[in-house]
Amino acid sequence: MRANLNDSQQIAKDVSQSPSSLFILWREMIKDKLALISLVVLSCILLIVYGSALFLDQDKIVKVDLLSIYAPPSAEHWLGTDYGGRDILGQLIIGARNSFTIGLLITLLTGFIGLAIGLIAGYYGGIIDNVIMRIIDFILVLPFLMLVIVFVAIVPKYNVFTFILIMSAFLWTGKARLIRAKTLAERELDYVSASKTLGTPDWKIMIREILPNLSSIIIVNLTLNLAGNIGIESGLSYLGFGLPESTPSLGTLVSYATNPDVLQNKWWVWLPASLLILVIMLCINFIGQALKRAADARQRLG
Amino acid sequence: MEFLKVNHLKVYYPIRSGFFRRVVGHVKAVDDISFQLNRGETYGLVGESGCGKTTTGRTLIGLIKATAGEILLEGKDLAKLNRRERSYHRKDIQMIFQDPYSSLNPKKRVLDIIAEPIRNFEKLSPQEEKRKVQYLIERVGLHPDSIYKYPHEFSGGQRQRIGIARALTLHPKLIIADEPVSALDVSVQAQVLNFMKDIQTEFQLTYLFISHDLGIIRHMCDRIGIMYRGQFVEEGASQEIFNNPQHIYTKRLISAIPNVDPRKKQEQIKLRQHVEKEYKLSWQRYFNAEGKAYPLKRISDTHSVAIL
Repeated sequence: MRANLNDSQQIAKDVSQSPSSLFILWREMIKDKLALISLVVLSCILLIVYGSALFLDQDKIVKVDLLSIYAPPSAEHWLGTDYGGRDILGQLIIGARNSFTIGLLITLLTGFIGLAIGLIAGYYGGIIDNVIMRIIDFILVLPFLMLVIVFVAIVPKYNVFTFILIMSAFLWTGKARLIRAKTLAERELDYVSASKTLGTPDWKIMIREILPNLSSIIIVNLTLNLAGNIGIESGLSYLGFGLPESTPSLGTLVSYATNPDVLQNKWWVWLPASLLILVIMLCINFIGQALKRAADARQRLG
Repeated sequence: MEFLKVNHLKVYYPIRSGFFRRVVGHVKAVDDISFQLNRGETYGLVGESGCGKTTTGRTLIGLIKATAGEILLEGKDLAKLNRRERSYHRKDIQMIFQDPYSSLNPKKRVLDIIAEPIRNFEKLSPQEEKRKVQYLIERVGLHPDSIYKYPHEFSGGQRQRIGIARALTLHPKLIIADEPVSALDVSVQAQVLNFMKDIQTEFQLTYLFISHDLGIIRHMCDRIGIMYRGQFVEEGASQEIFNNPQHIYTKRLISAIPNVDPRKKQEQIKLRQHVEKEYKLSWQRYFNAEGKAYPLKRISDTHSVAIL
């Protein structure tokens, strides 16, 4: 009898607390083995990268050592050295940390700006929408790469943060467009009209009513963008317009492969960085797919 | 004093064309209509699709801006109120939406859906709020535990009841029901309609009932207005209009109601043929050169028709 009572109390408690969104995400992750493996791999990589970066001395790593130029992997240098005799493993770790941090910050910053502007443009429509969309069109027609290169050249104190700001200034437009389009479709639905008739203020309708219904598209877009932004950062560094060479980046390491000799004979210089980029991007994409399903009740596996 | 009075309400949409997007004309969705609602009655708006009945309802509640005309609720013009007063009066008018699927936010639990107006207008503790929501959800015939479910876990009829519970939360005086049952199947329609009648007396509600289904209108409404192309063609007490239709459009609508009795089939066919003939012969009496109705003319205390 007592057990029964406890059971029914437990059930009542379970019912009264609908599963939190975090729990749903977790359940979805466990059901999808590929996403779970990706999550484990990505967390391991990030843990190792961020953990060991604490103990590495960046100045020591980027110091040129003429005695060990292009040294193959050995006990002293696990992944060999580059043309300056610098340790590849150390550069790899610090480079991965820099690339990931930059990618993440750009994603968050552009996501925030794009969300706010997209919601406002889509919800109010009319003149506001028109003005915002024309500004976005203008930014989109500017040659992105060229302007980034120009900015990189003219900014006096060029460091990681100015780089993030320059990138974000151009990359928010795509997100704003996407969210505007979804908001336009969403605001025509009756539940938005219902909220209006119930006296809910506009900002509350945008944040509490429309935003949750866009969450799946936002999460998927942000995760995919995270992978993309890491790629853009690496790409710019590869071209020589990303981070300065004194700040290691995955792109810098890959760019050493432009030398045919390095590409053919000295795999340890560029292969680890390329593989790391590939693995990180794949992991992020697989996790993104699982998140996408978790955000939509009809697609869930768990 | 009338409870709600609508005077010369017009809702026009501009038609733009050409390079400079100049206004070349107007779609007259609602073209100069006037009517009034008495407290506690059910007023039906009937008409074919596109005749402006939904636009009228949405204008009354403020979702669409009126081009001209006034809407007086208990003597106060809703269009002339400032923001604060309007949000206060908003409590008095609520709406039941046509589509029970899109009118409930799929990401919110029933508790949050029904509590939304409470959170906007009243400061209640979570317990009080929950008790109130549970009372309402029980009143519309759902289990009190269902407040923790999501809308997709309910059937169409149950969803429409949730919509009704939400509309009742603020104790409104007027409920605009925009085709509340046209998305439901027939067995559930009767259930929801009878339930709406029950709560009408309990909560002292006035209904503006918008529908294209004359059978439902006859069942629900005390007075009806028949709309055609944004105008009224006939208005009056439900009995009078159904028993003694004057306008040819009304006659055609009523003759189109299907009759379930097979023995009366021939009679019905004859009636339709008769009405059709009358329509062809005398439509100039009812419509002007543009095909629009004439102004309403009073033929008895409770009956007006748009004829010359």
